[in-house]
Amino acid sequence: MIVFTELAQYVVNGLVLGALIALPALGLTLIFSVQGFVNFSVAAQMTVGAYAAWLAGSHLGWSPILMLLLAFAVPGALGVVTDRLALAPVRRQSGAHTALMLAVVSIALNLAIENALRFIFGSNLNNFDLPMERNLQVWGLSVGPQQLRNLVTALVIAVALAAFFSLTRWGKAMRAVADNTDLARLKGIEPRSLSNLATFIGMGLAGIGGSLLAIDTSVDPSTGSRLILVIFAASVLGGLTSLYGAVLGALVIGVAGEVAMIAMPPVYQSLTAFLAILVILLVKPTGLFAGATGVRK
Amino acid sequence: MTSYLLFIGTITAIYALLSLGLVVSWGQAGMVNLGLVGFFGLGAYCSALLTYIGAPIGFGWLAGAALAAAIGVAFCLLTRTLRGDYLAIVTLGFGEGLRLVELNERWLTGGSDGISGIRPPLKEALSDLYPWFYFTLAWAVVALAAWALSRILASPFGRALRAVRDDEKVAAVAGKNVLRLKCQAFGIGAALFGFAGALYAHFTSYISPDNFVIQLTIYIFLAVTAGGYSRLVGAIFGSLAVMTILESSRFAAEFIPGLSAVQIASLREFTIAVALIMIMQLRPQGVFGLRNERAGANASDGAPHATAVPATPN
Amino acid sequence: MAQGTQSIKIGIVIPLTGATSQFGATMSAAAKIAASDINAAGGVAGRPVEVVIEDDQSNPEAAVRATRKLIDVDKVVSIGGSYASAVTSAIAPLCYESKTALFTSSGADSITKTPHNGYIFRTSPTVTLQGTRVGRYALELGAKKMFFLGPQTPFAQAYIDIISKLFKEAGGAGQGLIYEDKRASYRTEVDQALRTNPDVIVLGGYVPDTSVVLKDLYRAGFGGKKVGFSFGVNQVLADGIPQEVSEGTASLVPSASEESPAYRTLIGKLGRPALDSYSCQVYDHVVLTALALAYAAASSPSGTAVRDSVRAISQGGKGEKVSDVAQGLKMIADKKPINYDGPSGPLEFASNGDVEGVFFRYEQVQQGKMALLKVA
Repeated sequence: MIVFTELAQYVVNGLVLGALIALPALGLTLIFSVQGFVNFSVAAQMTVGAYAAWLAGSHLGWSPILMLLLAFAVPGALGVVTDRLALAPVRRQSGAHTALMLAVVSIALNLAIENALRFIFGSNLNNFDLPMERNLQVWGLSVGPQQLRNLVTALVIAVALAAFFSLTRWGKAMRAVADNTDLARLKGIEPRSLSNLATFIGMGLAGIGGSLLAIDTSVDPSTGSRLILVIFAASVLGGLTSLYGAVLGALVIGVAGEVAMIAMPPVYQSLTAFLAILVILLVKPTGLFAGATGVRK
Repeated sequence: MTSYLLFIGTITAIYALLSLGLVVSWGQAGMVNLGLVGFFGLGAYCSALLTYIGAPIGFGWLAGAALAAAIGVAFCLLTRTLRGDYLAIVTLGFGEGLRLVELNERWLTGGSDGISGIRPPLKEALSDLYPWFYFTLAWAVVALAAWALSRILASPFGRALRAVRDDEKVAAVAGKNVLRLKCQAFGIGAALFGFAGALYAHFTSYISPDNFVIQLTIYIFLAVTAGGYSRLVGAIFGSLAVMTILESSRFAAEFIPGLSAVQIASLREFTIAVALIMIMQLRPQGVFGLRNERAGANASDGAPHATAVPATPN
Repeated sequence: MAQGTQSIKIGIVIPLTGATSQFGATMSAAAKIAASDINAAGGVAGRPVEVVIEDDQSNPEAAVRATRKLIDVDKVVSIGGSYASAVTSAIAPLCYESKTALFTSSGADSITKTPHNGYIFRTSPTVTLQGTRVGRYALELGAKKMFFLGPQTPFAQAYIDIISKLFKEAGGAGQGLIYEDKRASYRTEVDQALRTNPDVIVLGGYVPDTSVVLKDLYRAGFGGKKVGFSFGVNQVLADGIPQEVSEGTASLVPSASEESPAYRTLIGKLGRPALDSYSCQVYDHVVLTALALAYAAASSPSGTAVRDSVRAISQGGKGEKVSDVAQGLKMIADKKPINYDGPSGPLEFASNGDVEGVFFRYEQVQQGKMALLKVA
């Protein structure tokens, strides 16, 4: 019984951790779906969102909802600007490995944004002026209220996003582009605006994820970059094009890492997560959730 | 100043060797190795540990390369059912996982203390000439590797590799043993990474897990991309370009008044990143383009044309 | 340029970017203050000193390139600042092979075991000493069951062993857990620690991971004592987390004796209420170099001159205690023996380069500020 409670607690901890990486993983997946490359600069945009929220909350005294809206808008807009400046010129050149080159450029872009933030804010850790809450005890399990809210926020946003894609005109158009650019153009949809929209929403999601993470921990110029491997892994696990997949992938990675601590020393947590991915991929090479409701059919 | 330039020059040669390895596996065979720093570390640790227990240095280097190659081939076999993107994440996971092993298996690797006092070859005998010797040695290795690779890549094997890169199915239909070709290319790449690691370890005489972080992978990818991603000469050029940017920014930063040290350092890394982005934008096919692609296209083995256009001459 | 007015260059290799960069800003500021203090006092034998600061990017490979540049291009006489143990181990051979003095604030015991021919001076107490003092302090607080939480470092296991042994000798118990750094949550690690019902938790981490651990400890309702090391628990940490989370966390900071005004003066010049030990050490690295060169009075300053003269100005019963660099330079010019005590400590070096006789400031976070409990 004690073992069961312990295991359940690890699962809860893993879900809480997974929720933190779910939104950036969603952003990464969304951008990949529409633009066809892994944009690693989501990591730096998480940090941008975290700083935006921190400035709004701790310096301007904004409410948490407004704070998160700003954490969405600023990285979203910055994401579009940097995409046009840094990535679009590379995208226009067709080449055998453009997707990977774009990924490499996005890593450089990530480095640039991270250091721009360090230039402005320095390397200090910054804290949100939000009250700390003790964990709640439910059925012998403990969970933090803030972390519970993070989990709910991530799930709500994922559902809202799925609704956007299946119900609205723009959402459907984005799926059309993801499936077939030429077809979309025939239908009079401008691929460039859609690509901008995907970047805006994707980076915005990363920004919200980053600020939730920063509320939970603190914000410094490397807040997002520290987690980029896990986020990328979550997105891959979800099949890279499935929105639900990204969320589930994040939760699976979170849980796998925590539960692994039963058998493995804690220092090997992320190695265990990677091994889990490897095994899953070997069994199901297309990713866990590819083919589920996603941007790309 | 001379000894500084020799030192940086030697490190550049090691970068160039890494870049050559990436050209083989990525540029020529289309397989992404985001964990190259892992193989680099593997070669470094292997040689450092073997020479520590008394093995000759040359043996350590070869063993480092061989071990890296063996692990590389194993990965290739393990992920044979997966799409290319997944090889990328598996290798990325390998790079990070190996760093964790280096960090935590203290009995073997010394943990985060690292391994110091790695034996330098002939240092006592050469004394003042030693930096020159190592510089020459490193570049000789680069030249040898480039020459051997150019022979290999110009052979039917090279054409077959490019055929696999451009379309595996077509290559398979044309009777190529796709898996075997891929494993060979990935193994050659990994061997070069491992050898470069061994060269690095015996050059600086100290290694630790912190040496083998993703930064280096980024630099090498940028070097290879800047040089046209499939060209051997381009890889060497790209390494020179990346190192020039890395080191010259150090001197430029000293001329900016009114900034704190943290701001100068951030600005330097920012400039490095922007310079690299601009290289990629201005020279999408790299300075040396894709000239040797044509060999594959002109061959009669049915390989499809490379989709990229050749670079315009300067 | 005339030999007499050419500046003496001192290299500083510190983490300004990357994972260990939390103290970079104050470290570089402290180095610059040291240089201006020396130059305001007329420099070393009429020559000004200049600090050349390079970023180690928290990466030994980058640090090696930076060090090579300092040694070969700038021709520095000494290098100070080096902080992360891996960085120090990587650059140490470059320094002692080129006969450049290396001042370091790294704690790993292995560093002074290299064949450095006296070129390495470590101003930070060794791991063994710090662990012992933290363990004794935890016992002083009346704790019986200790749990150590920290990331994988050269000293994590050593800390667990040393402190657990102290607790067992005192009739208590101790154990520990080494975690992976760079994680967004340490809930499971904290759960595992709390399952042993510890009454004191020793925090062995750096600032970013310690801030997360402290938050998770607070959420889990841990009410026991918390003690950390100066690299993890300090003003940077206190500024980065809510007051209720950091409240009561103690920290042992290597320091000068309480009477020494050096620390007060330095934080006054920086305009800060408190300063981490590492920035104080960087200040002393520059000052020690300058005083040693002034003492050596060599026609051409060199790393060897620094090596041979550091002990003459920093220790020994004959010299008068001096905590101000201007006064020190003046007395050296007057051929009076001195014993410099800096903001980071009394700076007495054993023959292997390890610092001896360090005092510790026992500090505690009180309402978001590091408050001094005692110096011992």
